[in-house]
Amino acid sequence: MQTFLYKVKASDGLHARPAGLLVKHAQAMSSNINLLSNGKSGNAKRLFAVMGLNIRQNDEIVFEIDGPAEETDCKSMKEFCEANI
Amino acid sequence: MKWFHKSKSGGLIVAQQTGTIVSIQEVPDEMFSGKILGDGMAIIPTENKVVAPVSGTVVQIAKTLHAVCIESDDGLEILIHLGLDTVKLNGKGFVSHVCIGQHVAAGEPLMDMDIELIKQEGLQTITPCIITNMDQVKQLTAFTGHASAGETPVIQYSL
Repeated sequence: MQTFLYKVKASDGLHARPAGLLVKHAQAMSSNINLLSNGKSGNAKRLFAVMGLNIRQNDEIVFEIDGPAEETDCKSMKEFCEANI
Repeated sequence: MKWFHKSKSGGLIVAQQTGTIVSIQEVPDEMFSGKILGDGMAIIPTENKVVAPVSGTVVQIAKTLHAVCIESDDGLEILIHLGLDTVKLNGKGFVSHVCIGQHVAAGEPLMDMDIELIKQEGLQTITPCIITNMDQVKQLTAFTGHASAGETPVIQYSL
C-alpha cells in the first residue's frame, strides 16, 4: 500500500464539483483508494463517501492506495490533488 | 461502507421543487450536463421550498447548505444541488429543516432557498437532482414539463 498526506488548498473545500472530479479520477484507477480525514474514512470512488468526509480548506487527507498499480496510481493522484484541490 | 442486497425493483422520484423540469444535459454546468456526478434532471424553481424527492435518510448537508445528499430506502444516493455555484453564498439564502441522519418521507420539507436573493447575487437557481450511484440503476427515464414539489414524478428508475 502507498500512502500520502495532502492538505487541501481549494478555498471551498471538497464540495460537489471538486469531490466529483476526485471521484472520477479515482474511478479510472484499478487501485483501491481510501481517504482518511477528520477522523473518518471513505472510498474515494464513491461521491457520497467523499462528500460525507466534509473536507474543508486546510484539512488534511491521508490517501491510502492499494493494488498492483499502486505506485503509478499514487503518483497520478498526487498530481491530481496538486492541480485541482 | 454499506452495501445493499435488496430485491431488484424500481420506483419514482418526485419533484424536489415547484417549477419547470429541465433535462440534465441542459444545465449550464458541465459537472451536471456531462453527467460527471450522476444522472437525473433539474428544476428551475418558482418557489423557495425544497422537499425530499424520495423517502430516505439525509446523509450529508453541505456546511454552506447549498447541497443535500439523501440515501433512498432502496439504496439510491441522491444529490440535490441548490442552484449553481451557490457554494459562494456561504449559507446565505438557505435554511435547513433537517439534520444529518434524519429519515424523511418523499415530499417532506428539506430546505428553503431564497430564489430572489440567489438571482440578485447573480447566480442561477436551477437545481439538479441526480442519482450519483448510477452503477445501481438499470434504467432511468426523466420527465419534463411543470412540476409541483413532492407531487409530480420527475424520474422513473429500475434497479
